[in-house]
Amino acid sequence: MLNIYTIRKQAALILSICGAILLFSTLSSAEVPRRLISLAPNITEILFALGVQDRVVGVSSFCDFPEEAKRKPKVGGMSNPSIEAVISLRPDLVLFSIDGNPKEFEERVRGMHIKTFTLRTKQIAELPEGIRQIGAAVGARQRAEELALDIERKISSLEQGRRARHALAKRQKVLFIIWPDPLIVAGPRSITDDALRLLGVENIAGDTVSTYPKYSIEEILRRAPDIIFIGKGNGMDRVSDSLLGRLKNVPAVRNGKVFYVSDYLYRLGPRTIKGVEELAGHLDAR
Amino acid sequence: MKNITLRIGIVLVLLAVVFLASVVAGPRMINPFTADPISREILFSIRAPRSIVALLMGMALGASGAVLQGILRNPLADPYILGISSGASLSAALGILGGLSIFGSFTIPVFAFIGALFTGGIVGVMGWKRGGIWPERLLLAGVGLSFLFSSLLMLMMTISSDEGLRKAMLWIFGDLSMSDWSRIPYGLFFIAGGIALSAMRARALNALILGDEFAYSLGFSPHRERGMLFVSVGLLTAASVSLGGMIGFIGLLVPHMMRFFIGSDSRGLILSSALGGGILLCLADLISRTIMPPMELPAGIITAIIGSPYFLYLLRKKNVLGV
Repeated sequence: MLNIYTIRKQAALILSICGAILLFSTLSSAEVPRRLISLAPNITEILFALGVQDRVVGVSSFCDFPEEAKRKPKVGGMSNPSIEAVISLRPDLVLFSIDGNPKEFEERVRGMHIKTFTLRTKQIAELPEGIRQIGAAVGARQRAEELALDIERKISSLEQGRRARHALAKRQKVLFIIWPDPLIVAGPRSITDDALRLLGVENIAGDTVSTYPKYSIEEILRRAPDIIFIGKGNGMDRVSDSLLGRLKNVPAVRNGKVFYVSDYLYRLGPRTIKGVEELAGHLDAR
Repeated sequence: MKNITLRIGIVLVLLAVVFLASVVAGPRMINPFTADPISREILFSIRAPRSIVALLMGMALGASGAVLQGILRNPLADPYILGISSGASLSAALGILGGLSIFGSFTIPVFAFIGALFTGGIVGVMGWKRGGIWPERLLLAGVGLSFLFSSLLMLMMTISSDEGLRKAMLWIFGDLSMSDWSRIPYGLFFIAGGIALSAMRARALNALILGDEFAYSLGFSPHRERGMLFVSVGLLTAASVSLGGMIGFIGLLVPHMMRFFIGSDSRGLILSSALGGGILLCLADLISRTIMPPMELPAGIITAIIGSPYFLYLLRKKNVLGV
């Protein structure tokens, strides 16, 4: 027969276990931030892709994708967000990008006892890891893992395409034009340059000092790119006609290998891989 | 006078040498006699028009600086002080934002030119009082308008999230890289016209520098002469901004450098400032596209970097303003 004390002991044990579970679950739910502010367009895109858009209470004025992001309250530009706007939205977590947001602003927000997260991703290969970190920070680990795995799969299939292209006799020379007048192209350390590397083609502007250099037209004639990509922008087709007229003897222009492509490669987010695949499609088209 | 002719001859020879060097040299040297087809194309459709545009712009800035310092009787005057360039930038930005493309690849230059002339007109009207143009009023009206227009432009850039506008406006800070033959005829027309008009009124400018009463006693109508010289400055500045944006230093300091070399007689000074401006911009552009290939640096930075030390040297070495 059970002793009354034993019953009491067991009941106390069960109660305390239940209490611990309850406490733990409330604690961990308190850890999931409910009000997010994203200060970079690529982070906003990742948050939407992770399905936590309802918790996003503020974005930067550059966050224009997806369409719904434009309707979120704005807290200012990437380099000059408004501290008042950020605080008045009472965020639990403010997400920064190392690429474009000032470090001092992050320190100020942290000084106000608001949690911050800084995305340090700079290359396509680091993107899955960055997405996992954001997933962990906002409590969407599973969706983040799925998205990261999907991107990893796509990167490795792009790498197969690169090996096939390497097997070709001649390495293709590519130029990616960001703006035609004055001529700004994608140089080293840009996401676009990274994409071209991933695709196994040579970026003829890969040897400049600056990331988005103003490029010499006569060097384009000399280096004779086989393919020219032009990123879509405001009034782009019109302005670039006069540029292409000047490049008419370059192999890319002569052979009709000039392609207008989307702006997916301008930010490191869920759409970046689509941008790389778009370039790959043009490279392999016969 | 013979001495001045000789000295202008020296400047002309220097101009020819710099021009030839700027065509032959670049990221890579090209020997025009043994050039392959690609090099020949670079020579004739890229470098030659670019060097000519650099010459034209430099000449316009140098000449208009010399004239403006005379009519405003102010050694700190330069072609941009009248707000003409700010008006040009604002008008170009409005054209881009409005999505107007009626002039094709000429959209920006045409808008800049119209904006520059329009601003020149406003400054002229503001400087007008009691039947004539007064130097002080002209200067202050120009400075005021310049602040207004550049603030409006900054406002547009700040509130617009349009990346295209920002990139398109890079041009206004001095860019010669897109120069091709198509822009040369109109540039040549306005710049040659402006220099000719001011050179013809050089004697009147000499008199104006000494004071309105003096000019009057020599038989010049101060207000009429000032008006004509102002029109020529407006044309020169408008044409140069629309060719390649704003290039600093030349309009302000080349006339002073030429004063050390030629003397203050406007007849020689206008012409030699034009030539000196052409030499300096052509040389600066050569350096800006050559030192870090395949990247190009803004020519306006180089003009000041190579021009200022020489100017400071002259300032120490020679007597300025009789001191």
